[in-house]
Amino acid sequence: MIVPMEHLLILATLLFVLGLGCVMVRRNLIMILIGVEIMINSVGLVLVGASAFWQQVDGQIMVLILMAITAAEVAIGLALVVYLHQQKKSIDVGIFDEMRG
Amino acid sequence: MDILLTLILLLPLAGGVINACFGKRLPRPVPVFIACGAVIGSFLAAVGSFSLAAGDGYRLVLFTWLKSGNFQADVGLLFDPLAAIMTLMVTGVASLIHLYAVGYMEDDSDQVRFFALLNLFVFAMLTIVLADNLLLLFLGWEGVGFCSYGLIGFWYRKSENAAAGRKAFIVTRIGDLFFAVALLWLFALFGTISIEGINAQVAGLDMTTITLLSLLLLVGACGKSAQLPLMSWLPDAMAGPTPVSALIHAATMVTAGVYLLCRMFPLISLSPTAMAAIALVGIATALYAATCALAQNEIKRVLAYSTMSQVGYMFLAVGLGSVSAAMFHLITHAFFKALLFMAAGCVINLAGHENDIRRMGGMRRRSPLVFWLFIAGILCLAGAPLTSGFFSKDLILATAFAHGDLFHQGLYGLGVVTALLTSFYCFRLAYLVFGGDYRGDELPHEPNGLMLWPLWPLALLGLGGGLLNLPHLFGGDSWLSGWLGREQDILHLTITSEYLLIGTALAVFALGWLLAALRYRRYVHRPGSVTAEFLLNGWRADELFDLLLVRPFKKIGRFCSQGVEIGLIEGVLSGTVRGCNDLGTRLRGLGAGKVNLYLHGLVWGFVVIVGWFLLRALI
Repeated sequence: MIVPMEHLLILATLLFVLGLGCVMVRRNLIMILIGVEIMINSVGLVLVGASAFWQQVDGQIMVLILMAITAAEVAIGLALVVYLHQQKKSIDVGIFDEMRG
Repeated sequence: MDILLTLILLLPLAGGVINACFGKRLPRPVPVFIACGAVIGSFLAAVGSFSLAAGDGYRLVLFTWLKSGNFQADVGLLFDPLAAIMTLMVTGVASLIHLYAVGYMEDDSDQVRFFALLNLFVFAMLTIVLADNLLLLFLGWEGVGFCSYGLIGFWYRKSENAAAGRKAFIVTRIGDLFFAVALLWLFALFGTISIEGINAQVAGLDMTTITLLSLLLLVGACGKSAQLPLMSWLPDAMAGPTPVSALIHAATMVTAGVYLLCRMFPLISLSPTAMAAIALVGIATALYAATCALAQNEIKRVLAYSTMSQVGYMFLAVGLGSVSAAMFHLITHAFFKALLFMAAGCVINLAGHENDIRRMGGMRRRSPLVFWLFIAGILCLAGAPLTSGFFSKDLILATAFAHGDLFHQGLYGLGVVTALLTSFYCFRLAYLVFGGDYRGDELPHEPNGLMLWPLWPLALLGLGGGLLNLPHLFGGDSWLSGWLGREQDILHLTITSEYLLIGTALAVFALGWLLAALRYRRYVHRPGSVTAEFLLNGWRADELFDLLLVRPFKKIGRFCSQGVEIGLIEGVLSGTVRGCNDLGTRLRGLGAGKVNLYLHGLVWGFVVIVGWFLLRALI
């Protein structure tokens, strides 16, 4: 392996924490979705790294599935955002509290 | 005969219950007839069954009231000589008072309630008198307390009347508590509450127990009989209608304490300490009340204090060990005190419903009849020679004298001083009420016939009551002492000392009259001096009790209500409530649908959990 496993894990952790921070701090729905994407990608990175490390193909297949799901998720998520924006003329998460849950 | 004996008790009860339940629905004169008929019937039954009581008496168990383990309380009657003579007196005097009350309460709209309570009062007193066990006696004892409360505060719309009723109830309740303790203790000691049973077994007890028991009984008797220090309710009890005063003072209530001590005499006579205490309480009250009576301005209050003083004499007699002297004085006192109260009621009517003797005077001219009846009572109370009061009071004083030692000589001396004061305040009252010219401006309300003629038998009994226990010196045979089986109470003094005692009594009576005549023959308005004020307020006893008992009690009450109740308990409760509320509000904030908040919770919770596991792994 060209890149050492430690570096890969550190990068993935950094990405994950950055994504998490984005999700926690931002109030904009789109930014939150972006944060979620970053976190998912960091997980994908770890999966690919692990696949290369153990010379097994499962991780790469997993990442392919992950990408497909992410694409679907983003599509639905953005559609929801558009819908919500039509409802309230805003995409601030603080406004969407009617369901109390 | 059993039926007659039962009827004595049952008739007043039936009369009271019928009047209480249905009296309002009956046409006007019927409840009055029921009430009077019940008491008069009871009196006739008492006369009819009187012969039963001779010797050791007659015991009749009606039914068992309570039974639990070895505890048994019967509703049983003990009709012995003591009870018989008392029953006769109570029912007889109460009958006359009932008749008088018919005239007195003629216009009162609450007549029915009055007569129902009056009948129950007589019933409760008869229960005390006839009970063969202490629990039944205690039932009557409490019944008397309740009825006195209802009757003293009869005109309850005036708040001071209601307060007087409450005071009588509460003060006597203090005594009742001690009596109840004695009762329970006696049961614990003997396993029986029968009066005869207890009296038969007392000889085996040790001295301290007997003394303590006797003192407990003494305090109980003090409460009902208005003796020091539980006397303050009696003068205020004058707030009730006059027939009630007459009933309380003559036939029922105040004599109950003396009767209790006579009933338990075999017990208390074993303890010289207790006997001395009883004598001391008696003489102290007699003296105290006599001094108070000197300065009173209301006719009924003078009589109230005189009752207290005379009951003090009865206690003295019990303390001297002479049951027959106590009972003799009790009975003669019942006659003339009932007479005096009822005559006082007539006088108050004559003076236009005026109580204050300073605004009376000249009543002799308004009604010579009332004058002579009242004077008959006054003479008995003051101890004029050959009246009943003279013989009975003299017997007590002579008994004290006959004991011979210094303590009893002192009691005798104080008794003579009290007799002097008694004579003085009696004639002060007579002069102020009847002498001189009328000082008020009210028109007389003529007392009606029913208010006058019950006084005649009482006047005759009062004047001639001495025949009941006429000493040998006057040619009698001390019938009452013999009837009670207390021949040891008959005194055997030398002729010289007999004449000496009679001379003293005479001199004291005459001196009191003379002093009163000198001072009050002509009415002079006297501004109240400090002493008079002091005596008028009963030595400021009420203020003392107020300071020592009532105010601290109220303070404790306020502390309990404001400090403990409102401050502590409600504070804790409302604090808990507020805490729960706040917690709820905060928790609700968590569930407000804020996505950020949930995310923060999720992440930080996760961080904490991971941190915890890391920490575990590292250490």
